[in-house]
Amino acid sequence: MSAIAAKPAGNAGAFQPVASVIAIILAVIFIGAAYFLGNSGILAGGAMLPVTTLVGIIVGAALIAFGVHFVPVGGAPAAMGQSPGIATGVAMLATGAGLAGLFGGAWAASLGFGVALAGGAIGGGLMMAITCLMVNISYVYGMGIPAASGKVEKDPITGDSQAEYKSQGTEGHGLPFISYVGGVIGGLFGGLGGTLIYIELLEFYNASFSAANMEGFSSLAVGLAGIFAIGMFLVIAVLSAYNITGTIEGPHDPKFKRFPRAIIAAICASGICGLVALLAVAIL
Amino acid sequence: MQEIIIGIGVTALAGALAAVAGAAEDTESNIGSQGDPNSQVQLAPQMGYTHRIYNKAVSGEPPAYTLWVTLACGIAWAFIMLHVNAVLAIIFGTVLATFVQGIYATTAYLGRTASLSKFGQPVFIDVLKSVTTVTMGHAFVAIFTTVTACYLMSTVLNHPFALPLLGIVWGLALGAAGSATGNPYYGKERQYQNQKFGAGVPISASGNIVRYAEAGQRSSIDNGFFTAKLGGPASGLCFGLIVFFELWRTVLFEHTWNGWGAVAVGVVIILLFAIIDRYVEKWARKNYGPYTAEA
Amino acid sequence: MSVKVEASHDGIPHNKVMAMGLVLALVSLYIAVAGSYAGYDYLAFFGGIAAVGALIWGNSTIKKLCSYGIGTGVPSAGMLAFGSGVIAMLFAAKLAAINPFIVPIAGLIIALIVGLILGWISNSVLNMKIPVMTRSIAELAAVGCLALMGLTVVAIGGLGFDQLTTYTIPILGLTVELYAFSYIATGIIAVSFMLGAIALQHPFNACLGPGEKQDRTNMLTIECGFLSMIVMAVISFAFIDMIAAWISLIIALIGWYWSYKKYFALSKRDAAAWLDAKPFSDAEE
Repeated sequence: MSAIAAKPAGNAGAFQPVASVIAIILAVIFIGAAYFLGNSGILAGGAMLPVTTLVGIIVGAALIAFGVHFVPVGGAPAAMGQSPGIATGVAMLATGAGLAGLFGGAWAASLGFGVALAGGAIGGGLMMAITCLMVNISYVYGMGIPAASGKVEKDPITGDSQAEYKSQGTEGHGLPFISYVGGVIGGLFGGLGGTLIYIELLEFYNASFSAANMEGFSSLAVGLAGIFAIGMFLVIAVLSAYNITGTIEGPHDPKFKRFPRAIIAAICASGICGLVALLAVAIL
Repeated sequence: MQEIIIGIGVTALAGALAAVAGAAEDTESNIGSQGDPNSQVQLAPQMGYTHRIYNKAVSGEPPAYTLWVTLACGIAWAFIMLHVNAVLAIIFGTVLATFVQGIYATTAYLGRTASLSKFGQPVFIDVLKSVTTVTMGHAFVAIFTTVTACYLMSTVLNHPFALPLLGIVWGLALGAAGSATGNPYYGKERQYQNQKFGAGVPISASGNIVRYAEAGQRSSIDNGFFTAKLGGPASGLCFGLIVFFELWRTVLFEHTWNGWGAVAVGVVIILLFAIIDRYVEKWARKNYGPYTAEA
Repeated sequence: MSVKVEASHDGIPHNKVMAMGLVLALVSLYIAVAGSYAGYDYLAFFGGIAAVGALIWGNSTIKKLCSYGIGTGVPSAGMLAFGSGVIAMLFAAKLAAINPFIVPIAGLIIALIVGLILGWISNSVLNMKIPVMTRSIAELAAVGCLALMGLTVVAIGGLGFDQLTTYTIPILGLTVELYAFSYIATGIIAVSFMLGAIALQHPFNACLGPGEKQDRTNMLTIECGFLSMIVMAVISFAFIDMIAAWISLIIALIGWYWSYKKYFALSKRDAAAWLDAKPFSDAEE
């Protein structure tokens, strides 16, 4: 529930070049720290394993941040048919799809890297495909309302005109096809990114625990990687939600153009979170 | 082969349990008025419309259900570690989670309503007593079925995640599916029953929610039987389909093409749903037609 | 979406609430860690008191941050706090290998560093331009870490990485250590995570509105803390000494009942009217 009005601050859409460069430099410093720690034997697996793990985590986080911007979320007004999108919070819906993907990815983890990633992506996409369909079914067959976007004249995919299907005094309602596709793509990216973070952490923890001669550690590594992946997913999704400031219609929404900021934020945030997560199994 | 047959059975059972969970979850959140439509319940007294609707502002449905389900999973697992029978352990966990849900619901109603004292919105103790117990009953059904589905995934289908981690994943998905599908039906169709059918609520009408029932003043329980007709089953179908297809594609096609079979089937299912969605959208445009100026 | 956030004029300033919460949390955590170091679980209930202290601090921070309108719901702040808090806590737990007594303070410092970076990102890179953003996110991460440590102590009696990752059971007179049944491997940490995240955002979210009063919101924070402690105390039966678990459970129940009753009384004080089975009277009709 978002009880707080979205108050877009002055030039909220602007890109911040100085801060962005500093954020990228910080992320590089974190990767360098991982290299140094691996080299000095504090992190397991030599110099390169911590670096590749951290880079994998950062790529996963960037995918999540990008994916969140595709998910059409209308917040409270959508529940009254006042604005298009899904009537729930953006951070939580994206996380729901991402974790459904993580479920599939973690299950397929034993079948290999590629299958797990694809399975995670499809899991997230499937969850969003079904949810978005049921949203439209409930609008069309439950309330007799056709889908209409408030932000564009024509649906960029189907070319359907939107304005005349918008009821009076509202900004649109339901999920036009572009929003549906956006939702599925958002789920795909979310599931892919979440699974990537999980698998990278899992491999690293397995390597660390076997280096420490801990027997029967596999469930421990799964538990650690799972809770870290969920925690990091939430951090990135909330930061991206802050970037969106509440609601977004999908890839055709002008707010979508803000995504580079969120990706840079995710790179830096996952850099520090990932480094600390690696340090949690440091050899002391 | 036998493994696959058991897998299919468990998949069907988990899907059915999830369908029940989704329906109960949506009905529960609508009776308690949780999630996005709650903003109107909060807004109404400020616009001068005093009401007897419950105000269960625990948080959005996804985080709230993540907590209830994770909680029940964690307690169930703790009891299983103490060598309690699994079914009993799940029931203990669900009872405690329902207790926590009820306490959170009462504190949210009291807090939000007391903070609206400036607008003369009274606290109704009879609403607190009758509605809280009804939401707890529905929450029990939703939590119990979801935890059971998670338990089946963890023990029979051998998913690597521990039970509480599965609780986070599926509790969040349950809340997301239930709020996405069910919220508009409650928010638009029931709260604003006095507005035109087949159109969104004009922004100018915000806060003017329906406060009278067929006889007397409407309490939140009256919302449950309304949304249970469409919003609840639709949410149940949504969550049931998610769980079913997620498990089905993996159980049946995991060993086809080194695991890529499950991925390919997933892609086909997504495309299928996209086609159905496009059909629904076109059907609505054709049959309802554009809004005319006079309407 | 159209509810205006009007934070009440606070009786106690934020810095004072923060100092009180921080001291309460750290002192309680140290008592519990000392008990665990001495080999007793009986002081595990101090973890619950630490969680209450941390939540009081966090609640005040959330109130300060959310009065600016962060563009998405209050609950997201709780999720962000615990998402970064869990990472900081596990790293701090690893440092118990050096000395168990540095864990609480190390967790606090690591969480503050992670939170500062996340807050700086939100404010500068995402251009949110909220003056208290950096400080608030840093505080929230620290609160998440401390509250999580507190709830963890209630469940398993200690904070060391070894305690988090092993489960000791006596079999035929020998003690066997199992990884698979530990706090982390069984995912019980996820329960603490969610309990804390909801308990952190609930008091302010539930009391939101023009008539919000600091003492009522704080009482609800205490209630949420003890309610979370009840759950962790029930779970602790699987991990720690039976008597210690009973002590935690009884203290949690007493604390919860007291604060719940107090909260009812405060709500009655602040409500416009307290009606039982009476209709509302409509001014327009």
